[in-house]
Amino acid sequence: MTTLRPFTCDDLFKFNNVNFDPLTETYGLSFYTQYLARWPEYFQLAESPNGQIMGYIMGKVEGHLDNWHGHVTALTVSPDYRRLGLAALLMHFLEDISEKKRAYFVDLFVRKSNKVAINMYTNLGYIVYRTILEYYSGDQDEDAYDMRKALSRDVNKKSVIPYSQPITMRELRHINRDQ
Amino acid sequence: MAQQMDSAVFERRLRPVYDNLEVGNNRKALQESEKLLKKHPTLLCARALKGLSLLRLGRYEESHTWLEAVAEEKPVDDSTLQVLSFCYRETEQLDKIVELYKHAVKQNPGNEEMLAHLFISHVRVEDYKAQQAVALQLYKVQPKNAYYFWSVISVVFQGIRGPESMIPEKRKLYLALAQRMVDKHIKEGKLETEQEAFLYLHILKLQNKYEEAWEFLNGELCAKLYPGAPVSMKFELLKELGKWQELNTLLMQLLEADHDRWDYYKEYLQSCFELLKVPPSPDSTEPEFTLVSCHEFLLRIIESSERKKRGPYLARLELLQRMRVAQLQPQQLVGDFDELIIEYFRLFGDKSCCTHDIALFLPSISIEQRQALASKLLLESGISSTSLPQSKEQMQKHICALQISRICGSHIELPVDHLLAFYTALKLHYEHGLSTFGKNLLATEMGPSDAYALLAANVMYDITLREMKSDHLFEALCLLQYVLRNSTSNFHVKLLSLKIYHMFGCLLGAQEMYDYLDIKQIQLDSMGYVHCNLLPLSGRFAGARSCYDATLKFFTNSYKERLEYIALTYRFYTFSKMEEFMDFKERLTNSLQYVACSVETQLCDLVTCYGNLQQNLSAYVAMSIEPADDRISWHELSDNRDLDAVVRFDPLHLVDGTAERKESFDQEVEVLQVRSLMLRLFASFVDLYHPTASAKFAAPNAKEQAQDRPHKTETATLELLRESWIGLFQRLRLMNYKPLSNRFLVNLLPTRLHLLLEVPYEKFFDDLAQLVLDFYTGDPQLTLHCKAVSDNVLGLKDLCVQTIDASNEASDGLWLRRNQQQKVAACLEILSLYAFLLSVLNDKIQSSGKTKIKKKPNADNKTCDTPQPISEKERSQMLLELMRQLKRKLEDCDAAIRNWKAPALPRDLNSFMADMSLKPEVEATLIGDVSSTFKESHELLVTELRNLLKDKIRMVGK
Repeated sequence: MTTLRPFTCDDLFKFNNVNFDPLTETYGLSFYTQYLARWPEYFQLAESPNGQIMGYIMGKVEGHLDNWHGHVTALTVSPDYRRLGLAALLMHFLEDISEKKRAYFVDLFVRKSNKVAINMYTNLGYIVYRTILEYYSGDQDEDAYDMRKALSRDVNKKSVIPYSQPITMRELRHINRDQ
Repeated sequence: MAQQMDSAVFERRLRPVYDNLEVGNNRKALQESEKLLKKHPTLLCARALKGLSLLRLGRYEESHTWLEAVAEEKPVDDSTLQVLSFCYRETEQLDKIVELYKHAVKQNPGNEEMLAHLFISHVRVEDYKAQQAVALQLYKVQPKNAYYFWSVISVVFQGIRGPESMIPEKRKLYLALAQRMVDKHIKEGKLETEQEAFLYLHILKLQNKYEEAWEFLNGELCAKLYPGAPVSMKFELLKELGKWQELNTLLMQLLEADHDRWDYYKEYLQSCFELLKVPPSPDSTEPEFTLVSCHEFLLRIIESSERKKRGPYLARLELLQRMRVAQLQPQQLVGDFDELIIEYFRLFGDKSCCTHDIALFLPSISIEQRQALASKLLLESGISSTSLPQSKEQMQKHICALQISRICGSHIELPVDHLLAFYTALKLHYEHGLSTFGKNLLATEMGPSDAYALLAANVMYDITLREMKSDHLFEALCLLQYVLRNSTSNFHVKLLSLKIYHMFGCLLGAQEMYDYLDIKQIQLDSMGYVHCNLLPLSGRFAGARSCYDATLKFFTNSYKERLEYIALTYRFYTFSKMEEFMDFKERLTNSLQYVACSVETQLCDLVTCYGNLQQNLSAYVAMSIEPADDRISWHELSDNRDLDAVVRFDPLHLVDGTAERKESFDQEVEVLQVRSLMLRLFASFVDLYHPTASAKFAAPNAKEQAQDRPHKTETATLELLRESWIGLFQRLRLMNYKPLSNRFLVNLLPTRLHLLLEVPYEKFFDDLAQLVLDFYTGDPQLTLHCKAVSDNVLGLKDLCVQTIDASNEASDGLWLRRNQQQKVAACLEILSLYAFLLSVLNDKIQSSGKTKIKKKPNADNKTCDTPQPISEKERSQMLLELMRQLKRKLEDCDAAIRNWKAPALPRDLNSFMADMSLKPEVEATLIGDVSSTFKESHELLVTELRNLLKDKIRMVGK
């Protein structure tokens, strides 16, 4: 049971029950404001009937030509509101918006160790498109999966033919620059 | 061509300066810019960069001179302008950026980039009228839609936010103009983007032109440009237009497609209740609307859902609740409330959100009914005092039923022995759940049975409050610490532990929990209330400073960036977010947490300063306190606390979150009044003797004022502030604030307001003001006033020593510990400030005593009736006597603190976890760890306070 609405600046003051979760990062203000100012419709929030924030999704749309795609930057659900299909709801919302913006696919990065999330994305129709080596820096660097799902505009599903080899961060930057 | 080459060359030569600035190597940047200026002394950009380097190095006055000189040359090249406007942004001289670009644009009227900069410079100062003009100029130079709509939004803002927005006719005029501008564009077929469509709808709505908005929203153009228009916009318009039937039909369609949308159900139910009010029209063939069809619709959704969704069930309960409010009889149509709740509980009781869901509907029934319902749910969960959950789901249901019971007030009246038995049961359930269902828990997951322990801690607090002793709460703390070892990511446990540590004055434990929560960025504002705001006067000064630092760093950064966020919405063309960003800026810059933390940091620095007098004074000068100038916008202060982050299941009828928020905020504002006025009053004491100290670089106006001011008003600021000080305390006593309720563990801790009223702050600083004035004028009453102040010092010393004695004698070392530490800290705060002041006075009076050049302004005696002012020499001796007395009293305080014992902890620590299946070694280390945290915390406190005293004794010991 959810109210879906755009994330607003004021929500930054009250998203703590979600952001205290250890897998949810609290970014600097300029990160949030950048997304809010640039892709406001890609930053959505799920609110419970009592007004609490249940979770939110933050994303963007970018790329040229057939690389024009939606991207999920962050997706998080409060521990109190798990196992209710909320993540799927938020993902569908983002896919929907991307469809409306005529994007070819949606992609996201996820920690290789985050089995729960990978499982969920697979169930939602995402495939592991490629592995990015040492994408997450920290005490111990960790690889990321770049997962993708084609949208209706990509009729031939060209965007989801997976790479056979993992790529490095440098290669990723290179590819992004060319696109 | 030659010029272009030049600029490329210069670009290359300027590079090292930029690079060094970027990595923060400001000294090197300065050297590089000077090197460059030797060769090209007139290169404007290099001069500007030198100004920036100086600014970054904190050499403000020099920087100011350099930048002024560059600005006077009226630069027009982009790089110099960028550097200058960057500097002006840093120094908050936003109007200068406007001037800068105004001139540059005059020189290059057709330059799009310059004009865009000029536009943004107007955005920073919120000059909408000027924005409009520049945007139109831009559109003429380059007919892009973006520029056209920049001017449209600037017109809109003149109507709704600008200085004229208060005049209804003006507002109307501006909005009509904005609409005409867009209408014209539409007619010419030039509308291109969804944000333009949004803005048009917004303009129509602002003028209450809902019909037109509705037509546009449903038109072809809008569908093409704005396919993602939120459906809520339709709801809003239909409601404004009173088209309830249409709204009702639309929502039924939407709900049939999506069964779980609360926003839709809420609107749907509203439309149903509105339709009820519509009188049946005689010629309509449609049957009269009744709630029967609404109920049937919800039932249909329930039956057609494959997977059980909460939506329609909650909607049915909401229907029932609304029928009650409307004094209709829901029983017949919807059914029995208890049965509906029980059905809901059967279906969704295994989800952790079930408690929140059910709690929504409890207000509509009486307390007795609530408690009866809670018993039914407990029964329904299938767990009795003799059975244990057989599955994780059953356990979650049990937890939900227990949480609801607490919310319904079922536990609150129980006798202590019942509560203790309940606590034991919760502890056992926790342990059982952990060992049965908590295996292979990921480090990032919460334990499945943690909720039992959270409830247990709340129950223990209830007992503690009744018995007024700390044993049980200490036990709860140990239990929470045990849970935290098993489930390292449970932030509820950390928040509750943090709270209990603060209640017991254990700052080390609190700091550990705070670090563990990893509070950062905007959380420093919204969650500052759990720790940072509790630190002032908690017992440690230097220890608190690092927490203030981290908090202030966030705030000063965001303050600098605040206008760039708004500029961003213009650059990205996001009209839908502009007002939101502007309001956000206000909320952030007026955060009470921000202002309070700034004031506390300054006070803390004055209390703890330990250098020689010159060092201390320059540290004081760097704070640039302007006693005469109250910089706080009291009416705009904003409460950004996220109080709901701390979960609570306390009885609904005993908790009023809104009232608690308001009361605590009001008191915090009063505390800030006292603290900020104390700071300014104290600064006025210092400034009287070191007037140079107040003449600061950054405040040229103040400098002029000071020069304008005739001699006789040198003491005017001090006297005025002293009056405000007395007036403030009079008002506070009249207001008769009550300490915040400590009824439940989750409630906020009391504010410092009552501490500030109890410890003699008022009298001390009032008498001190008199003393400072007397010393200045040599008033014959000086002797008397010296006596008053030394009596106050004696009183503070006694209070400090007595408080520590009481603490040492207490059999329960924790119950009053926080309050005792606060009192001691308050005494030492006052005495430390006094010590600093005496050292300032001493410096002045000794030196003027020696040189005899200074004639006191008020000391010119016209008649011989006026008693002679006390001579410099006598004053000097009196001062020395005050210093000697303070030194002795500080030594007495030190002796007491040296003998301050670590808090006595409850004796039978080892028995309390005996009934849990804990391994003995776990039990031993756990209790040992918690106890040693208390001991270490005490030792740190003693060491820090004694260091503080040592510094102050040295300060007055000369």
